Amino acid sequence: MRETWFLFRHFWKADVRAQHSVAGLVLFAVATVYAAYQVVQGRPEPETWNALAWIILLFTAFNGVSRTLEEDQTEVLAYLRTTVHPLHFMLARTLHNVVVLSGLACLVVAFMGLLLGWADMSAARFAGFLGGMVLTSVALGTTLTLLALIAARAGAGFGMTAVLGLPLVLPIVLVSTNLGADLLSGVLVADTWHNFAFLGALAAGSGVFGAVLFPYLWRAS
Amino acid sequence: MTEHQHTTSKGVWAIRIAGLALLAYTFAMTFLVPLGPGIQDVVVTQTELTDKGGVYEVEVIGHGTHFSKTAPRVFLLRGKGVLNATAVKSMDDTHLKCRVRLPAVIPSPSFDVYVNNEIDGTMSYANGFFASGLKVVSKATLPDEPGVLENLSASNLGFHFPFQPNIMESIRNLMLHVPMWFTMFLLMGISFAQSIRTLRLGGDPDRDLRAVASVKVGLWFGVLGLLTGSLWARFTWGAWWVDDPQLNGAFVTVMVYAGYLVLRGSVQDAKLRSRLSAVYNLFGFCLLVVLLMVLPRFTESLHPGKGGNPAFSSYDLDSALRAAFYPAVLGWMILGTWMYSLQLNMERLTQRIADARLTRACMPLPLLLVTPASTTALEDVFTTSGKMPVVTGVAVIILAGLALWWIRAAQKLRRLTHEESNLNSPSDA
Repeated sequence: MRETWFLFRHFWKADVRAQHSVAGLVLFAVATVYAAYQVVQGRPEPETWNALAWIILLFTAFNGVSRTLEEDQTEVLAYLRTTVHPLHFMLARTLHNVVVLSGLACLVVAFMGLLLGWADMSAARFAGFLGGMVLTSVALGTTLTLLALIAARAGAGFGMTAVLGLPLVLPIVLVSTNLGADLLSGVLVADTWHNFAFLGALAAGSGVFGAVLFPYLWRAS
Repeated sequence: MTEHQHTTSKGVWAIRIAGLALLAYTFAMTFLVPLGPGIQDVVVTQTELTDKGGVYEVEVIGHGTHFSKTAPRVFLLRGKGVLNATAVKSMDDTHLKCRVRLPAVIPSPSFDVYVNNEIDGTMSYANGFFASGLKVVSKATLPDEPGVLENLSASNLGFHFPFQPNIMESIRNLMLHVPMWFTMFLLMGISFAQSIRTLRLGGDPDRDLRAVASVKVGLWFGVLGLLTGSLWARFTWGAWWVDDPQLNGAFVTVMVYAGYLVLRGSVQDAKLRSRLSAVYNLFGFCLLVVLLMVLPRFTESLHPGKGGNPAFSSYDLDSALRAAFYPAVLGWMILGTWMYSLQLNMERLTQRIADARLTRACMPLPLLLVTPASTTALEDVFTTSGKMPVVTGVAVIILAGLALWWIRAAQKLRRLTHEESNLNSPSDA
């Protein structure tokens, strides 16, 4: 556990030090929201708002997980292989992705509100929606981390992650769009709790699979 | 690489022959067993409307019925109220006309239509009669004329498939379309097991070849399942594709395994490729189980037998369908595993030749394209004779798809064997 935490802090520090990496993600998210704003021109209907929010989150997430870190350089990886247990590496990497994606989700929602309005949500529903966004980011983070690492090992980047990942994140997208549509059409947060439970279960399940399967990717050849 | 001496044992051949026999039985059952009689449509025309009530002319269109050979009785049913139709006149075996008289105040405007005769038994069409222009009061009572109910007769027909409204003859797709998915799941399961072995052995190339061979054959079955399902959906639900959890799951499955093949194509190192694709295969299969088995349980689905619960036992199969369906599934699965062993042979040959040449041959993904022609003309063609052309179309798609596979496989095997023998012969420089 301490090892995982140490690695996570290490990833975090590396991110903070090399600011261009996180700045790039933020810029991508903001630019995507702005592009959506330009396309929609004005305040969209709640259904459109919902669809836009999840699609933007999805693209931001794919972009977020498929950037390369300092750790992915061959030399650094060779060093880590001799010093770090793959499980700890995987957990730290997943945690890192989850934190980054959750932050991006909040940013996306904030920017959506600024440019495209809040789709007439009450405060409670908005809190529920934001919670759903963050939970979706957690689920996307646990699912996509493994796929991005596979794509990185295959020597391919964003495109391969999308090919491998898009079909597999479809259950998450289905559940979260249902959640958003429920909240935007006036359903109480308490009445759509099962969608939160699904998202949590998907996140936990894919996290476990990732942790079990990652050690097989870890070896040098 | 170890030499795989491929001699197929007699037992395996016996199973394959049995599988072919099962498929022959399946096709015979699918096309020869008659469909039970049923009501295809009810056309109601109002002829008289006074303050005493209404008189309606009802035309019943049956499918596979024997109206002219018997004296059919027609009655309407709503709750406990029974109304006998009068002046029943058979036009021919599948058309009859009759008259219904309704009081001015009725409990509900829609009635279930029942037709009863000695040969076909009792057939019903839910909400087939809609009485327009009458006053609806939910407490109103209908005259109870139970005369007909006392002499209902069971059908007097031999072995037949059950009639379902709207589905009609296309119920035969159960023996063609559904086993495609069963076979695909079996093959993906084989691939899953082989991927686990691959990882256990630290990236075993031969296990990996087994995994990819079964994915390739399974994908072929999946595409055939999508195409046949799409054709059936067009003439059952009115669209080539509808937004439905079952259909989405099927499409995503095909996409995930296509992604698997793309991933394999982009890695050069055999050992790394075997491990990466095995990890993706395991991860993908587990998520597919969630997508196909868990999530559809919580949503409504149009798909037959899937109303919220995709359990196999909830298929409303009757004994005739069972007698055809189970052997069909077994037959298609045997064919699928046979194709798998041939595909594996091809993969191994390709690998051996590539090893010998130190290059990797790239296998192109088979692509099937369907261009829908004019919709109205199609409608006319496919909805005649109780949608039987849908079944024929599905069978043609499957047979053409499988024939394509076998011709390709035979050509390829011949070419690869030839290439390998050329490589091995000392005269080759």
